[in-house]
Amino acid sequence: MTLPSASGTRAPSAWRSAASPAATVVSATLASLFLLFLVAPLVGLVGAGGVAGVRQLAGDPELRAALGLTLLTATAATLCAVLGGTPIAYFLERRRFRARAVAIAVLDLPLLVPHPVAGIALLLVLGRGSPLGTLLLGAGLRVTGSVFGIVCAMFFVAAPLYVGGAREAFARVDRRYEAVARTLGDNAWRAFRRVTLPLSFRGLSAAAIVMWARAVSEFGAIVVLTYNPKVASVLSYDRFTTLGLPGALPVAAVLVVLAIVPLAALRALRHDA
Amino acid sequence: MIGVQALTVRLGDFTLDNVSFTVPTGAYGVVIGPAGAGKTTLLESIAGLLPIRAGAVRLGDVDVTRVAPERRGLGLVYQHAYLFPHLTVRQNVAYGAADSALADEMTERFGLHLVGERDVRSLSGGERQLVALARALARRPDILLLDEPFAALDPRSRAAVRREVRTIYFERRCTVLHVTHDFAEAGLVGDIAILLDKGRLLQAGEPTDVFRRPATPYVASFLGAENIYLGTARPIRAITPDWSDAAEGQFAEHPLAFDTGSLTLYALGDAVPGTAHAVLRAEDVSLSLEALESSVRNQFRGHIVEIVAAGALSKVTVNVSGTPIIAAVTTRAVQELGLEPGREVVASFKATAIHIC
Repeated sequence: MTLPSASGTRAPSAWRSAASPAATVVSATLASLFLLFLVAPLVGLVGAGGVAGVRQLAGDPELRAALGLTLLTATAATLCAVLGGTPIAYFLERRRFRARAVAIAVLDLPLLVPHPVAGIALLLVLGRGSPLGTLLLGAGLRVTGSVFGIVCAMFFVAAPLYVGGAREAFARVDRRYEAVARTLGDNAWRAFRRVTLPLSFRGLSAAAIVMWARAVSEFGAIVVLTYNPKVASVLSYDRFTTLGLPGALPVAAVLVVLAIVPLAALRALRHDA
Repeated sequence: MIGVQALTVRLGDFTLDNVSFTVPTGAYGVVIGPAGAGKTTLLESIAGLLPIRAGAVRLGDVDVTRVAPERRGLGLVYQHAYLFPHLTVRQNVAYGAADSALADEMTERFGLHLVGERDVRSLSGGERQLVALARALARRPDILLLDEPFAALDPRSRAAVRREVRTIYFERRCTVLHVTHDFAEAGLVGDIAILLDKGRLLQAGEPTDVFRRPATPYVASFLGAENIYLGTARPIRAITPDWSDAAEGQFAEHPLAFDTGSLTLYALGDAVPGTAHAVLRAEDVSLSLEALESSVRNQFRGHIVEIVAAGALSKVTVNVSGTPIIAAVTTRAVQELGLEPGREVVASFKATAIHIC
C-alpha cells in the first residue's frame, strides 16, 4: 500500500518551463548573492585563520580549555534539555488543552529575547540577591562566574529549540501506533518506550544536535553571567578586544570548523532516514 | 459480549452522542456509516483509547469503562494496519503475543513465515493487513475490533483477507465488531448491523432486518434504497392475491394501502394510519413488457425515462403517472427485452417488498 506523500508530488513539467530566461537569470543572480553573503564570511574566516587555529590548538592551553569547557557545558545543557524537555514536548504534542498554545508560546519566548537580556533575566532570578539564587548558593551552586552558570545560560537560550524539534518529531509519529501498542498489552510508558521513542528517535536526535550547536555558539547570555571561566565564544571576543582581529581569527576559525560537526551529524541522520 | 450503554464521547467538534447497542458473545457485529459518522471514535472508545464523557462499556460481564486499554483483552486492527516500521514482520506478530508459540502459529497460519524477516514497509496492502490481524490474534483476544480492515485493499486482496477474517472468526468464535462504510460488506459478514451517522445511532439489529425494515426514511436512503415515497397509509380489509406470498408470517402484519401521488401501493405493515413513507428496493421491482398474470397486486404501467448501466446490473427509472419507480435489472435483461427510454413497460413488485416507516 502506498500512501500519498508531499514529497511524492511533482510539479507538471509545463510549470518548470514557464519561467522566462530573464527571470531565470535574475533568480539565479539573487540566489548566488544570497549564498555568497552567507558563506563568504565563514569561508574567509576559516581561510584566514583555520590553519593557524588548528596549529594554535596544540600550543594554546587557554584555547584548548575553552573548547573543552564549551563542549562539556553544551553537552550538559543538551542532556538536561533532553531529560526535561522530552516529556514536555510529548505532553504538548499529544494532549489538547486550553492553555496549550500559550504554553508553546512561552516555551518559544527565550528564542526571541536578545541574548544579553536573557543573561540579565537569569542573573535576576538565579543571582545571589534572589530567593532562588540564595537557595542555589546554599546547595553550593553559584550562577555567576561558574560552569553551572554557563550551563544555565546555554540551557535557557537553546532548550526551546530542542522542545520545538522534539514536538515535531512526536507529531510525525501517528498516535495510532501507540494505540495499537496499548491494545497489545503495553501500558502508556511501555508503549512510549517500545514504539514512540524508536519511531521518533531520529527527530529527537536532530533536535538535540541543533540545540547542542546553538549552545556551543552562545555568547550573549553567557558573557553576562560568566566571563570566566571562558567558553570558546567568550574567548574569541576576549582575544578580539585585547589582541584585535589577528588574535581573534584562529579561535573564531576553530569555532566555525566546530560548527561543521553538528551539520555533518544532521546530514548523516537525514541520509540514514 | 460488547455492551455499549449511552456512550458519549467528545473529540474536538465531534460528539459521539448517547450510543447504545449490544453484540452478544461470539457474534459478529458490523458498524455501518459514512465517513465522519464516528465509527473509528466508537471503536477507540470501546478499546479505552479515548476518554468517555458519559455512559459505560461492558466487555463480557465486566464493566471496563475505567479499565486501561491493555487490560481489556481485545485486539484492534486499523484500516492502515499501523505495523511498527522499526520491527520485522515476525517481531510485529510477536509484539504482544500471549506466548511465542502462538505468535509462531499465527505467523504460519497467515502464511507470513515466508516474509518473516522482511521490513514491513516492503509488504503489499494485503500482506500488511494479514500481519496486523496475526499480531492482534496472537494476543488471544476475546474481542476483536476491526476498523475498515478491507477498505484500503484491492478487490483481490480484499476477498482474501475477508476470507481469512471469516475463517478465524468461525474457528475462534471471538466477539467481533467490524466498522465499514460498505453496505454490501456488512451484509456479507455481519450477524448484527449497527447504523451510525453524525455520531448518533440510527438503528441496530440483524442486517436483513435493518436492510429490509429501515426505521426511518433517512436510514432507508442511507442504506441505498432507491424508491422512498411520502404518502398516506390506511388499513384495508381486502385480502389481495399476493398476501399469501408473505414470507411465512415473518411480516405477519396488517394489509395496508399506501397512497402516494396518483399511485396506490399495497403493502403489509403495522404502521399507524396516516402520513408515512413507503420504502421499496430497486432489486424487488421487476419489469416486463406486458402485465403479469400472477398474484402480484402492485403492477403499474409506465414509460422508461432513464437507464443507467453499472456493470452487470442496470437501474431503470419508470415514470408511472408522474411517480418514478426505479428497478434494478440485469444489463442482459435490458438488452433482451429491448428496453430503452420512452418504451412502455410494467413495473411489478410484491406487497411484502414494501416497507412502511
